[in-house]
Amino acid sequence: MHESSSLLHTAEVVHWAALIIMAVVYSLRLRWLFKFKPGADKSAPGAPDRTDKERGAFYSLFNVAMPWSMESTRKGFAFYLTFVIFHLGVVAGISLAFLSTITPNLVANPVFAWICGSTLFLAFLVALYRVFRRLFTPVMKLISTPDDYFSLFMLTAWFGLGAVTQAHLAGVQGFESVNILVAYLFLTSFFLIYVPFSKISHYLYYPFTRIWIGRALGHRGSYPIVRG
Amino acid sequence: MKKPAKTHKIKMMEAQLATKLNRQVVGSLVGCVHCGMCNDCCHYVLSHPDDPKMTPSYKADQVRKLFKANHDWTGSVFPWWVGADKAALTDDDLEELKDIAFGTCTNCRRCTINCPMGVDTATLNRLMRGLLTNVGVMPEGVRVVSKDQWELGNQMGVLKEDYIDTLEWMSEELEEDLGHGEAEIPIDKAGAKIMYAINPREVKYDPRTIKEAALIFWAAGEDWTMPTEGWDNTNFGLFSGDDGLGGASAKREYDKARELGVDKIVISECGHGYRSTRHEGVNWSGDAEPFPMESSVMTMLRYIKEGKIVVDPSKNSQRVTFHDSCNNARSCGFYEEPRELLRLVTTDFQEMYPNRAEGFCCTGGGGAMSMSEYTPRRLKSGEIKANQIRATGAEVVVTSCHNCVDGLGDVIKHYELGCEVKQLVDLVANALVLEECAVMKGRPATAAAPEAPAPTAEVEEAAAPVVAVEAPLAGRKILVVDDEEDIRTFLVTVFEDAGAEVMEASDGDECIEKAKTYKPDIISLDLSMPGKSGVDAFVELRKTAETESIPVCVVTGHPEFRQVIYDRPVPPPEGYLNKPVDEDKLVAYVAHIVETKEEKAN
Ligand code: SF4
Ligand code: SF4
Repeated sequence: MHESSSLLHTAEVVHWAALIIMAVVYSLRLRWLFKFKPGADKSAPGAPDRTDKERGAFYSLFNVAMPWSMESTRKGFAFYLTFVIFHLGVVAGISLAFLSTITPNLVANPVFAWICGSTLFLAFLVALYRVFRRLFTPVMKLISTPDDYFSLFMLTAWFGLGAVTQAHLAGVQGFESVNILVAYLFLTSFFLIYVPFSKISHYLYYPFTRIWIGRALGHRGSYPIVRG
Repeated sequence: MKKPAKTHKIKMMEAQLATKLNRQVVGSLVGCVHCGMCNDCCHYVLSHPDDPKMTPSYKADQVRKLFKANHDWTGSVFPWWVGADKAALTDDDLEELKDIAFGTCTNCRRCTINCPMGVDTATLNRLMRGLLTNVGVMPEGVRVVSKDQWELGNQMGVLKEDYIDTLEWMSEELEEDLGHGEAEIPIDKAGAKIMYAINPREVKYDPRTIKEAALIFWAAGEDWTMPTEGWDNTNFGLFSGDDGLGGASAKREYDKARELGVDKIVISECGHGYRSTRHEGVNWSGDAEPFPMESSVMTMLRYIKEGKIVVDPSKNSQRVTFHDSCNNARSCGFYEEPRELLRLVTTDFQEMYPNRAEGFCCTGGGGAMSMSEYTPRRLKSGEIKANQIRATGAEVVVTSCHNCVDGLGDVIKHYELGCEVKQLVDLVANALVLEECAVMKGRPATAAAPEAPAPTAEVEEAAAPVVAVEAPLAGRKILVVDDEEDIRTFLVTVFEDAGAEVMEASDGDECIEKAKTYKPDIISLDLSMPGKSGVDAFVELRKTAETESIPVCVVTGHPEFRQVIYDRPVPPPEGYLNKPVDEDKLVAYVAHIVETKEEKAN
């Protein structure tokens, strides 16, 4: 179906080009980050029997999957769940964009469509909640920049359009227009080009910031956190 | 509206920021997604729910904006897009930054361990403090304390002769307690195994902890010494963000330890002192070979485990709880040893929740005790700690940090918790069974029990300097200044019973007038009084030729007036005691101040 549309073809090409641009910018970003000198802790290990830089780094890197490890996720478990759904939505959205151009049959598969579509829809709802939270909570308003707002608005739209696109690809009645997919691919392309310059690039830094703080606190003996 | 041009100070801060950036710092600067998850982890937020500016990321954003405006790609081209257009530009902006960096954050790092992105907000706040300090923008207390540490080598402006005099005083006290002089504090003993470094607060306001440590070292048969230089384990560089001061202060300790040829530095109970000496000082000073160092808590625990000292926990039978110093627990992984020791020297230990690396700040962290302008906010932020303590039902809050002793003391007083604060050294000294300690091995049984009275169940009493003579204040003239009649009566009675001639005043003006006419040997001064406050009276006393040399011992129940120690335009008071005061301690303290002054005069 989509081969027949030259607009769709353009969207696909742009979309792959955007991916390459993103990869290049990200490489430059990392080069920039690693141009700064590494901070080193020359002091002797804090609590020798508990000190382990690598263990600290490992714990730190994967504490995203251990909501019990931080008070903020333990107490704010509902918020943690929205965080999980939001980020699964990003994975679903990116997968949908690329798989739709590589293997259209897979994305039309009912099981895939249900999983991906409902994930995107839930992520859309979470994103709406986040928009509300950012617009109306005094703390969030105070710390938010135009980049924070725009990134969130864009992702909200992207999740919503992604859910609709999945419906289109699955052949759901009422969503037949190929323009839905075209719009989604163009929005994804914009998203890919925009993210390296925005707060969304946090996921690029994430492994490094987590490993660094994990090594630092692991060396001192405060990571992994012990509760009693 | 046209933006004002950057001032010279801002340009200097930007230049300095560039020199402070390393990968970890940059990671924290770029890693924040403004998710707000750290919000509820901060004691300032929890106690100021209506003030969004208390949120950790807002505090870190102050330096983040500066970074984004100068180093970030997007921020350099479209500053408004990432908030970099709101970076400080004028010197007035710097005043606001000062209030945020010094007045709304104790650098406790609780938000750091609760950030899903691994952003170290406390480090960023310290970075901002350092940038401000570098251009001379800081609270007055921070300026005074930093100057003292640069110039005198300790952050409380203790003169070398006063320090040595205090050690000698404590040696004498020990001699009186034990009935012999064997436990005398060794000063500058070359080749000793241990060099004991302390917090200057111990010299100035709580010397009993020095005496207790000396007793424990002696009981364990330790070969130890206290140095005449490099004895201050604290480090204001950690609080002010000045790495230069941090390095210089730490190096003083390391160099002295090397000069004396000791095997190890033992750091008395001080959270930031431990962190600065044991860890950060090594990095700031660039001292490639870290010296073996440990907290005195570890030393005492080892003594018990090795059988060098023997303790009887039933001597500490009150319900105790433990407050973790943020620096110890979160930044040094030092939280199990104090608990282990506490269980050995007490009978009723009740854990406080949350604890260890998740514990809340005492409110006194980050040098907050020296910034009296922020005291009301600090005390308000103590609500969370107060609730934690209250829930334990403890009579004694134990902590391994002198800063926390003051911070918790203020919280306990402000929230009327009715408990007291002690350190592990107090409890260990009180629980000692001297007859069975290493130093007594091989001695006849009678030698084990010194003639002096055995320590009582109350550490405070046992530790309080023993009054050696019937009337230690005989012939002394004391002016007691307090607006509350019952307190005045109490103080007058205590001093008169100790042999002093006492005159009273009930406000600041009367205090100055009577000080001029009566010429007392010492003034016991309350700070909170109607009319001319004690602080104003104190400053006037110091600035008036006829009264400037009269020693002053502040006796106050109001922590917010701590500025007479830190934030002062005049020399600090000779003594500072918190109400309620212990009678023996008060008399011994006042007698010591007067004697010291006389010795100096002679
Ligand atoms: S510091 Fe961490 S937890 Fe706080 S807002 Fe930033 S990313 Fe979120
Ligand atoms: S370091 Fe402590 S006081 Fe400062 S913002 Fe974080 S939680 Fe609050």
